[in-house]
Amino acid sequence: MPISMPPAPNKDDLIATWNFLQAGVEKIMTNLKDGVDMATYMGIYTAVHNFCTSQKAVTSSQGGIIGGSAHRGAHLLGEDLYQNLKAYLKSHLDELYERSKGHVDEALLSYYIREWDRYTTAAKYTNHLFRYLNRHWVRREIDEGKKDIFDVYILHLVQWKDVFFEKVHKSVMDAVLKMVEKQRNGETIEQSQIKSIVDSFVSLGLDETDSTKSTLDVYRWHFEKPFLDATKEYYQNESKQFVAENSVVEYMKKAETRLDEEKARVGLYLHQDIMQGLMKTCLLVLVTDHTALMRDEFQALLDNDRQDDLARMYRLLSRIVDGLEPLRTKFEAHVRKSGLAAVEKVAVEGDSMEPKTYVDALLEVHTQYSKLVENAFAGESEFVRSLDNACKEFVNRNKVCKTGSTRSPELLAKYTDVLLKKGAKSAEEADLEASLIDVMTVFKYIEDKDVFQKFYSRMLAKRLVHSSSASEDAETSMIGKLKEACGFEYTNKLQRMFQDIQISTDLNAQYKDFQAKVLSPEELKAAVDPSYHILGTGFWPLSPPNTNFIPPQEIVSTYTRFQSFYFDKHSGRKLTWLWQLSKGEIKVNYVKNTKIPFTFLVSTYQMAILLLFNDSDTIAYEAIQEATALSAEHLDPSLSVFVKAKVLIPSPETGKPEPGTTYSLNYNFKNKKVKVNLNITVKSEAKQEVEDTHKTIEEDRKLLIQSAIVRIMKSRKRMKHVMLIQETINQIKSRFTPKVPDIKKCIDQLIEKEYLERLEDNDELGYLA
Amino acid sequence: MTAPPRGTLTLESNDGRKIVVDRDVAERSVLIKHMMEDIGEQAEDQAIPIPNVNEAVLNKVLEWCAHHKADPQTTNDDDSDSRKKTTDIEEWDQKFMQVDQEMLFEIILASNYLDIKALLDVGCKTVANMIKGKSPEEIRKTFNIQNDFTPEEEDQIRRENEWAEE
Repeated sequence: MPISMPPAPNKDDLIATWNFLQAGVEKIMTNLKDGVDMATYMGIYTAVHNFCTSQKAVTSSQGGIIGGSAHRGAHLLGEDLYQNLKAYLKSHLDELYERSKGHVDEALLSYYIREWDRYTTAAKYTNHLFRYLNRHWVRREIDEGKKDIFDVYILHLVQWKDVFFEKVHKSVMDAVLKMVEKQRNGETIEQSQIKSIVDSFVSLGLDETDSTKSTLDVYRWHFEKPFLDATKEYYQNESKQFVAENSVVEYMKKAETRLDEEKARVGLYLHQDIMQGLMKTCLLVLVTDHTALMRDEFQALLDNDRQDDLARMYRLLSRIVDGLEPLRTKFEAHVRKSGLAAVEKVAVEGDSMEPKTYVDALLEVHTQYSKLVENAFAGESEFVRSLDNACKEFVNRNKVCKTGSTRSPELLAKYTDVLLKKGAKSAEEADLEASLIDVMTVFKYIEDKDVFQKFYSRMLAKRLVHSSSASEDAETSMIGKLKEACGFEYTNKLQRMFQDIQISTDLNAQYKDFQAKVLSPEELKAAVDPSYHILGTGFWPLSPPNTNFIPPQEIVSTYTRFQSFYFDKHSGRKLTWLWQLSKGEIKVNYVKNTKIPFTFLVSTYQMAILLLFNDSDTIAYEAIQEATALSAEHLDPSLSVFVKAKVLIPSPETGKPEPGTTYSLNYNFKNKKVKVNLNITVKSEAKQEVEDTHKTIEEDRKLLIQSAIVRIMKSRKRMKHVMLIQETINQIKSRFTPKVPDIKKCIDQLIEKEYLERLEDNDELGYLA
Repeated sequence: MTAPPRGTLTLESNDGRKIVVDRDVAERSVLIKHMMEDIGEQAEDQAIPIPNVNEAVLNKVLEWCAHHKADPQTTNDDDSDSRKKTTDIEEWDQKFMQVDQEMLFEIILASNYLDIKALLDVGCKTVANMIKGKSPEEIRKTFNIQNDFTPEEEDQIRRENEWAEE
């Protein structure tokens, strides 16, 4: 035994008891490594127990047990031991402090940590040995509300903090900060030392109101605060110097590395609690203080498509408040500019520009920047919104749309038609589907969705009537996409058109059966082989022929037979023959020098003209006009096609289709193909159609606005003028963006028609039922 | 001394008797448990001195510990639970406590010293049950206490405690 214990004391003798205990505590405190033998251990415990239960103490305070004194029940002994222990700890710690003066920096840290470990280990032992004191006297004091009495272990910590820590924490922290600075400068340090210091500071955080709980107050005040202050200063200096000597791109790399390092530092040896404050501090000096610089660089990075650097900038600025908003604004402007530039480039082709060229130009810009949003801006929704805003702008208002925003939907619809028509290049089903998805991407940005609908339905009608769809699946898929984007109403008519075609197929089959029954085999052989489409008037964007027409005698019996068959099935219906859309095949037997007779594919009008030549080889223009009753605008182009294809030879040879010209059948007609398509739409006709379509759009819009107004007023009964206009815009903006003067005009018209009235207050309108 | 078998400890009572006991039985005493945590390696070849308890009492206490060795360890915090509020004692413990008064008080003192809270509770409850329902005179008789109150003092106490009477 290096230190011998005094003899076990008399339990009533405080001085002897304390001398005995102090020797034991001293041994544990300073010389624990040599061990404590069991006799000493049990001796100390027993001495504490015996003193606290000594009879003498009980008798000495017995006087007041009953007569109204403060203590009812047994008075517990122990205060003397507690105070002596406290005094001993103070003198021990005073000594520690004196010795600490000999150490600085890392040596001081080592000293602090070594002494802390030794002290807290001893505290654990002493706490066990003084457990009897804890269980009774200390417990009672705490129960009675004493705030400055603690369990023996806590007492050790409190004394450490009050006597030692208060005097040394500043120099300890200075040493810690010096080490951290060294590490930030790239040197290797003993980081476990800092971890031990953190743990010690955290342990000293005792809740004033409840000593069994701990708080981080001591650590926050004495460690976190100086640590954050030093961090701020360090990075303020470093970043200032770095940006002075390097590019912004380099700086962003540096800043990102530093942020990662600091984050890792927390995991390595700091308390998790510092994370938020540390990140806040670092972001402030590394990012927020340099936002202006980064924002200025943004445009240059966009111009050069520096995706990695853009991504880095995004990551940095996304971590601070309001960091990204200025970028989004710039991004939106940039995308709009790119879009307009792309359109400008293709717009030089003028009217001859292919719809595909235009749509591709739009898509290319969208694809490029949506990829950028995905890669550099993490697909963040606000950036997506900026992209959408920009696309909406340049899709609806660009050089091509100069004359009106309806150009975009028109071209898009045409492009879709090209895709869906037979003979389109993208034969692969998957490619076609991908192209349709692209169409929908642009469609999403189109403001005049009603225009798209108009053109689309006209072109769909043609594809269906002429059976020129590339794939029924693709058609269905496209309608499905439109339905998803705009709702049932938008595609209702399109779907009905499909149905009509389906029903017609069945009807034709039934008619074939019927024909087989009513006709003799000879008649059947001689008859024309017909096929009919029954198209519902309201659903198809088609109008009856705008010319008189006498159908050729050869098909009259054929179509009247069908008519009677149809009326038989559906009495009361009306059939209008759309001759301008009908077509047929004619077998040509008159041509010399050919083994196989040619077959001409012709429109019904052309058929009527050609069949006239069965009776005569040469016919005058006037005679043709009279026989067919066709107006010049239909007759002339048909004749031109025949002349151009050298089916008919005009006389005089350069004769235009006009009165005075005669036409003769060309017996020497030649062609490489056996089937010759003469049913060609002439350009002027197509142009006419586009104009018609635009005209109907204007009219439809007026109706749409009026019906919206009536709907609103019907439910509201009375409403302010301004509010009504606003509400009307809200209701129809998914189709197109109505102009305010148009709405006003519609309101006036409705007042004229007495659907609405102006109320005395001129600003308000009322509904008239 | 020879090393006790593994998993056992040797305790030495204050009258010099050595008792070998399972370690988990002995560790019902928080004192011994803490000591084992702190300097336990010495107990492998030395007897643990128990300076305040004699052999008879120590045996009795260890008997209780052996019976209760599988009980969940109570912590200081569950003092407030209902167990403390009642004077119910389980049957085995009642039998265990059927000893003379002197032994009963020795057990209470020893469990207090050795820090075996559950046993201390049982001991105190047993004493409480001996008091329950008795008049002061009967209590004095039970515990052989001399009445040292003056009649005036007795009067005053009775008035102060009227509320406690039926």
